[in-house]
Amino acid sequence: MADLFDRFAPLMAQRDALLGDGGINPFQVKMDELLSPTEAMIEGRRTILAGTNNYLGLTFSPEALKAAHDALEACGTGTTGSRVANGTYGSHKDLENALAEFFGKDHAMVFSTGFLANLGILSTLMGPEDYILMDADCHASIYDGVRGSAAQIIRFRHNDAADLEKRLARLEGKPGNKLIVIEGIYSMLGDKAPIAEIVAVKKKFSNVYLLSDEAHSLGVLGRYGRGLPEEAGVEDDVDFIVGTFSKSVGTVGGFCVSNHPQFDVLRLVCRAYVFTASLPPSVVVSATANLKLIKQGGALRARLMRNAEQLHQGLSGLGLKLGSDVSSVIAVVAPDPQTAIAFWRGLIEAGVYVNLALPPATPFGYSLLRASLCAAHTEAQIDQIIDIFADVALRLGMIERPASRRIAAG
Amino acid sequence: MSAPAEIVARLIPILGPFNKTNAPLSAATRFTEDLNFDSLIVMEFVAAVEDAFDISVPLNILPDVATVGELASAIDKILGEGKS
Repeated sequence: MADLFDRFAPLMAQRDALLGDGGINPFQVKMDELLSPTEAMIEGRRTILAGTNNYLGLTFSPEALKAAHDALEACGTGTTGSRVANGTYGSHKDLENALAEFFGKDHAMVFSTGFLANLGILSTLMGPEDYILMDADCHASIYDGVRGSAAQIIRFRHNDAADLEKRLARLEGKPGNKLIVIEGIYSMLGDKAPIAEIVAVKKKFSNVYLLSDEAHSLGVLGRYGRGLPEEAGVEDDVDFIVGTFSKSVGTVGGFCVSNHPQFDVLRLVCRAYVFTASLPPSVVVSATANLKLIKQGGALRARLMRNAEQLHQGLSGLGLKLGSDVSSVIAVVAPDPQTAIAFWRGLIEAGVYVNLALPPATPFGYSLLRASLCAAHTEAQIDQIIDIFADVALRLGMIERPASRRIAAG
Repeated sequence: MSAPAEIVARLIPILGPFNKTNAPLSAATRFTEDLNFDSLIVMEFVAAVEDAFDISVPLNILPDVATVGELASAIDKILGEGKS
């Protein structure tokens, strides 16, 4: 009889062939010591972190550290229970109030991760008569969430409001509500949703709601960091915002905010909320503390964008193919997965960590070296990242020798 | 259930540009095994089918669709629902 794990054999064989027999496994990186939000010791080397989604560099903010230390001493290491049982402390409600106030919405619900927030909300919100229209490039947590929904799931072409309109028009006259699901910033390439166009399409039809996942745009976009809806001036037209604390907020956890008057009923029916342990209080208070810094973080956002411009200009100046415009995520497109892995290893051996992203988890089947920027990166660090990219790309024959640029010693 | 021949005949030209393995196309053609479809191609192909037939093909039905014939039957059912 076949072994339980035999069906994974083709995948393992493919992975082994890709990784070859030498070098660091890109999916098993171990950070032995964190030196700052932008540096760690990896394989005994001081390494610049340029793939952490720590956009504002708040993982060591003194405000969050102090609050977390105090909460650890006062409340212990964990709640050991669900939000609906013994797992709601004062700090959980304080964070929900802070989130509602931050977004200017009536209701906020905190989940234990961003993944669980999408899973819980998307599997619960829509019933059997309803339709979910999702952008094809949505995150795995959205795919898994809608898979658990009783609604009919329809995809529209990535960032294509006209394609969405065509699909909504086909559903006209059918009973049931419709929910459009998008992301503020898409994680792999850092591209933004055309949210104003999507809102305009939404308004042409009745019984249509909009949910935006602001995981990568919270703290990054908008004058006060409320994400793409704030930047685009359409906050009142977004019915549900889902997000995470594990990127700009610098800790872990997820949330959903909304003005819907019956929103709180979700606390009874979202299984991913009811049947999992709540966040430890030290995590909760660090999220609350950093949310305050995000609201006042105009200078951090400006710094992040300057860093993004510097990296984008540097990498495109080298002649590398970029999958991104200037954004908090800048992805270099490698010609194939083997080259991407060799590139990634060249970077890590020279002291730069970025994310390696391979198909099918990537748009267009791209093989990507995905860099994410941090407001705490210095100009010198970005220069060093560019130099090391140049050195590795040159060795791999991906670019010609740049005329003006100093090449880091290989 | 036998696949509606008329719908199969309409599907085959739509499948053409997605047929990277040059497999012979018929009601029996399997999307995964014969055509090597991955999730990206499925997305594009389903969108093309939706546009050609002017219907909504929910993701929910895809796990039960392995062949061109099964897709034709599913489309037949969706077209029937539209009329009711």
